[in-house]
Amino acid sequence: MEAILTDCVQNSLRHFMFRNAIFLCERLCAEFPSEVNLQLLAACYLQNNQAYSAYHILKGTQTAQSRYLFAVSCFHMDLLNEAETALCPANEPGGEIPNGAAGHYLLGLIYRYTDRTKSAIHHFRLALSIDPLLWAAYEELCVLGAAEEATVVFGEAAALCIQKQYSHHGVTSPNLHTSNEDYNLVSSRNFGSEDVSPRQLKHTQGNNLRDIPGNYHGAAGLSGAASQPQNGGPSNMPFYNTPSPMASQLSGVAPPPLCRNVQPNGPNLNTVNTDGSPRSVVNSTIQAPRRKFVDEGKLRKISGRLFSDSGPRRSTRLAGDAGANTNANTTAVAGNGTNSSSKYLGSSKLSSVALRSVTVRKGQSWANENIEEGIRNEAFDDSRANMTTTSSSFPSGDVKSLDQDRATVPIGGVVISSSKIISGASEVLGLLRTLGEGYRLSCLYRCQDALDTYLKLPHKHYNTSWVLSQVGKAHFELVDYLEADRTFSLARRMSPYSLEGMDIYSTVLYHLKEDMKLSYLAQELISTDRLAPQSWCAMGNCYSLQKDHETALKNFQRAVQLNLRFAYAHTLCGHEYVALEDFENGIKSYQNALRIDSRHYNSWYGLGMIFLRQEKFEFSEHHFGMAFQINPRSSVIMSYLGTAMHALKRSEDAIKIMDRAILADRKNPLPMYQKANILMSLEKFDDALKVLEALKEYAPRESSVYALMGKIYKRRNMHEKAMLHFGIALDLKPSAADVATIKAAIEKLHVPDELEDNL
Amino acid sequence: MATESSESEEEGKITGGNQHLIVEDDLREMGKKAAWSVSSCKTGNGVSSLRDDNLETYWQSDGAQPHLVNIQFQKKVKLQLVVLYVDFKLDESYTPSKICIRAGDGFHNLKEIKTVELVKPTGWVYLSLSGNDPRETFVNTFMLQIAVLSNHLNGRDTHVRQIKVYGPQLNPIPHQPFQFTSREFITYSTVR
Repeated sequence: MEAILTDCVQNSLRHFMFRNAIFLCERLCAEFPSEVNLQLLAACYLQNNQAYSAYHILKGTQTAQSRYLFAVSCFHMDLLNEAETALCPANEPGGEIPNGAAGHYLLGLIYRYTDRTKSAIHHFRLALSIDPLLWAAYEELCVLGAAEEATVVFGEAAALCIQKQYSHHGVTSPNLHTSNEDYNLVSSRNFGSEDVSPRQLKHTQGNNLRDIPGNYHGAAGLSGAASQPQNGGPSNMPFYNTPSPMASQLSGVAPPPLCRNVQPNGPNLNTVNTDGSPRSVVNSTIQAPRRKFVDEGKLRKISGRLFSDSGPRRSTRLAGDAGANTNANTTAVAGNGTNSSSKYLGSSKLSSVALRSVTVRKGQSWANENIEEGIRNEAFDDSRANMTTTSSSFPSGDVKSLDQDRATVPIGGVVISSSKIISGASEVLGLLRTLGEGYRLSCLYRCQDALDTYLKLPHKHYNTSWVLSQVGKAHFELVDYLEADRTFSLARRMSPYSLEGMDIYSTVLYHLKEDMKLSYLAQELISTDRLAPQSWCAMGNCYSLQKDHETALKNFQRAVQLNLRFAYAHTLCGHEYVALEDFENGIKSYQNALRIDSRHYNSWYGLGMIFLRQEKFEFSEHHFGMAFQINPRSSVIMSYLGTAMHALKRSEDAIKIMDRAILADRKNPLPMYQKANILMSLEKFDDALKVLEALKEYAPRESSVYALMGKIYKRRNMHEKAMLHFGIALDLKPSAADVATIKAAIEKLHVPDELEDNL
Repeated sequence: MATESSESEEEGKITGGNQHLIVEDDLREMGKKAAWSVSSCKTGNGVSSLRDDNLETYWQSDGAQPHLVNIQFQKKVKLQLVVLYVDFKLDESYTPSKICIRAGDGFHNLKEIKTVELVKPTGWVYLSLSGNDPRETFVNTFMLQIAVLSNHLNGRDTHVRQIKVYGPQLNPIPHQPFQFTSREFITYSTVR
């Protein structure tokens, strides 16, 4: 009976019939009270959003799984202390964390929300080392600003780890071993274990190159290209931006990975192009060309120079080892370099190629390949370590790929399963590598790099809502609101139900003052999900745009209520409080936001603004400085930092920062204006006028520019010019207060300056 | 229903009143930062009824004329507009008739800036504080006093249902001499 009931319960859970599951499970627990059954019941409760029930039934249990479930329920009920003691009992400091990676991740979250950042980082890293595909842990690390490069995290070690997880594929074990060995070889040969990622990168690169050649090889006789060192071929493609030497060949052709124009190299290329995904053609097991592609990108970025060497190496090696095939491959690769093929390689090809290589490498089941690999490895060894690794892989890979291209049957039939795992793992890792690197860069606010990284993704993945919203977010941080608008609307078209990043989209529309679009967005979001904080943030932005700050504040408070841990809602509340001049509450809101996410530079900026208004200039400068540290590329923050410094009488520093801000973003007129202001107060009127003249070019219809110029002319007693500029300023319809000020200034134009101290 | 508010040429007589309160975007209500007091009031109809955004509740004075509403700020503020809600149909002899607005640093040096006569007002009545000179758009002051000098039908006490005081919007960018008007400037001027 127990077995039947258990089976029923699990079946119900699988089919999402929670009430049924709970009922049956309660019967099960009543009849056969045991901890396992209790865990099952708790799982039912948790699925049905009844964390409190799970909490009560699991209180006091000691087995690992029970403790984990108990911690989950505590976390949902916001009882972080209890959750922590459950996962990590105080009297057992060396105790095992239940459920491995998941437990570490949960513990990391708890530490993060209780402000113990170092422990949080430690646990997230542990979680990742146990389960390298735990993306959420990597995401948290990025948010905390402590993530290592994605290539390291999602690198070879990770692949090995995954392999081990699936190591029940007995047959494949030898192959696996070989693959492992391959990796090991490579590692030991080239660099030490630490260099896994670069190595891997190289491998991938090599692989990519290899794959590409393979592909080409199979498809078309890309013999011509063979000779060309395809160093960067595949890798180059994706990295059209990165100047990796490898890319030499491909760089020419490397358009953004998304473009699949790789044509020229014959069918292989074409095929690759078409699906952008790993050249399935070539490699049955290649699933994620992207991955490779990504790796390539990473590799590129990380070890561009390596590639350069590898490039030629590869080609030579290819030529040497693979003979015709390899050559063909190389040619193919080379061809890629020259043709668009490289491009395609870049995008999908690379991934496919990479995959192939990976598979090849990994799936050393193929005897020949092993041998070749061995040979290759040696050969490669002499060449750059990286190169060798890749090269070795390449040859093998190529060979394999070639086989694959032609042969429909994968060589390593037996090992397919294991090699499939390996290749599958590699593909996934490759994909995660790009995504992870992109996310990490965007959390570090190196937005241009992040954008480049994301562009390396294959079309299929790029056009998903998560990636598009990340890209949109990156554009937003670069203050490129138009581009962000475009990207976000594309994201909405892709998946209209997704709310991720929509709060940022609403802010973009707020900045662009598109009230129609913004209200439409808000309505849509609310109708999609009334309980999501992003919808209420959008609604609040809508009201704020119409200057109805009180209602906006109510909406943002609702968003906060829905999710206390949504930092941006707190920041927006703070902005509204400031607009309503309620500085105390504004400070509180910003500090709440910072408690949740101390790298939320908007809150630091908000605090700086409040202190600037309250004339507490040291505080203001400190806060702007913190914001600047987090996001050193924002010209807006730099200009405010300069204003604060100027108020502290450190005008030289202020001017320096303004210049930096001007350089950072040519389109931003504000730093120039501020600089002119500072110069004017330093009485360097001519410099100020020069700056303002330049500014007139950027923003010809800005009344304050003319007003300021008028003021400066007035100070220099050039009354006609002052009059002219004041007149223009008035024509440009300034605000009522400014109209009064300007008109007053005009009236007093002929009064000597000492008498009037107003302007 | 909204009726036109008109101002006749002689001595600022105002008739009618708007049913809806409509102010321009570049004005903001400044009353929240002020201390409000009245010269006298009946229990239950105190000064809070003037600021509760409820047109049903009203302030009723309870003493000799003139009845005063004092609005004191902590620092000098620019004020541009005073809006009162009074209704002859509801309040009849309690409706204010002659209103004088004074400004100054404190009780000792208030100076009259505007006097109006209301004739059967029914709604929001707008009293602009600006002078004719563009330089005098605002009144920069610590204190404002609204004095009800006489009522309709010679009533002794007065009812006022709501009072709002408006001044110019804050410059969203602190420490700027002028406000920004063009989109390029405004887009880059804040981080949100």
